[in-house]
Amino acid sequence: MAKQKIKLKILRYTPEKQKKPYWSTYQLEVDQDSTVLDVLNEIHWNIDGSLSYRRSCRSAICGSCALKVNGQNILACETPIHKFKGKKLKIEPLPGFPIIKDLVVDMDNFFEKLRQIKPFLILKKPLPDKEFTQSPEQFSEIRESILCILCGACTSSCPSLWSNKDYLGPASLLKAYRFIFDSRDDGAMERIDMINDRNGIWRCHTIFNCMEACPKNINITEYISKLKVKIVENSI
Amino acid sequence: MKKNFKETSKTGARVWLFQRISAIILFVLLILHFVTYHFINKGIIKYTDIMEKMKSPWFNLIQFIFLLTAVYHGFNGIWMMVEDYVHPKLMRIVLFGIIVIIAFCLLFIGMLTIFKVSNL
Ligand code: SF4
Repeated sequence: MAKQKIKLKILRYTPEKQKKPYWSTYQLEVDQDSTVLDVLNEIHWNIDGSLSYRRSCRSAICGSCALKVNGQNILACETPIHKFKGKKLKIEPLPGFPIIKDLVVDMDNFFEKLRQIKPFLILKKPLPDKEFTQSPEQFSEIRESILCILCGACTSSCPSLWSNKDYLGPASLLKAYRFIFDSRDDGAMERIDMINDRNGIWRCHTIFNCMEACPKNINITEYISKLKVKIVENSI
Repeated sequence: MKKNFKETSKTGARVWLFQRISAIILFVLLILHFVTYHFINKGIIKYTDIMEKMKSPWFNLIQFIFLLTAVYHGFNGIWMMVEDYVHPKLMRIVLFGIIVIIAFCLLFIGMLTIFKVSNL
């Protein structure tokens, strides 16, 4: 397989040892169709074992390898390096989250916010005898929103979150949409009450960054807008 | 349950709705403004032309609504930016005061112009 020389800059940081993050440069030869994750693995395994990053499934399902390359939030495992057209790769951790080490960020706050919108079916009616059924129309309302893998790329790309860390963030709002618009769920009112807050859904200013960042191409902004309309309809 | 995002006021829905409504009003009035001021009488617009128009109370009523919505929409937007970027409580209160004062000053100047010329 054809090899290619690449140069990359990676943001490194060990909070216990350094005051500020700094850039390390690497030069290596990789296969032309390597992904960003392959490159990171190559560095970690053969060049510099101290580099930290997260990865698990390498199939764009687990959502652990989200990072920022050349200004774009991506999943390292599914993004080939040729997408960046021979440019030098500049790899950083997801913005907006505290750095634990190098490319590993602290996502506790992200998951805590997700927990708050109760990401599970809330049932008030008696259980059906057999399985729950949904018509294809009912399912199509939530079809796209259930594809989320909780990688955090959207929330991390949101300028509203950068400026206000209390903001709920697009991933949690998308999850709220996924349950509020699910025909089987009875918890819509609780959830609406939860997100109807100036630091909840109303901190979203329709910037569309989340939608661009999402590796699953979910139109998050549209779903957040649908939620806004539903809340306004409910509160009038 | 512990809340991570701080519970603030529930006025978000109303503010969001008013901001959209005022945007639509502004859009319509802006087009009206351009048509009546710049396209109906071709040629150079003179001071006296505008004065002539401002004699009509209907025209002035529309001007007044335009003024109100523009000030509301604009300053509501600025306040939203303050909420985004300014977090210390005291600083917010000070900025809120400044925004309200400037908004009322502009409203006053605008109203002065409308009512003085139209002799209402
Ligand atoms: S919505 Fe997309 S970007 Fe956001 S967490 Fe889910 S998969 Fe990641």
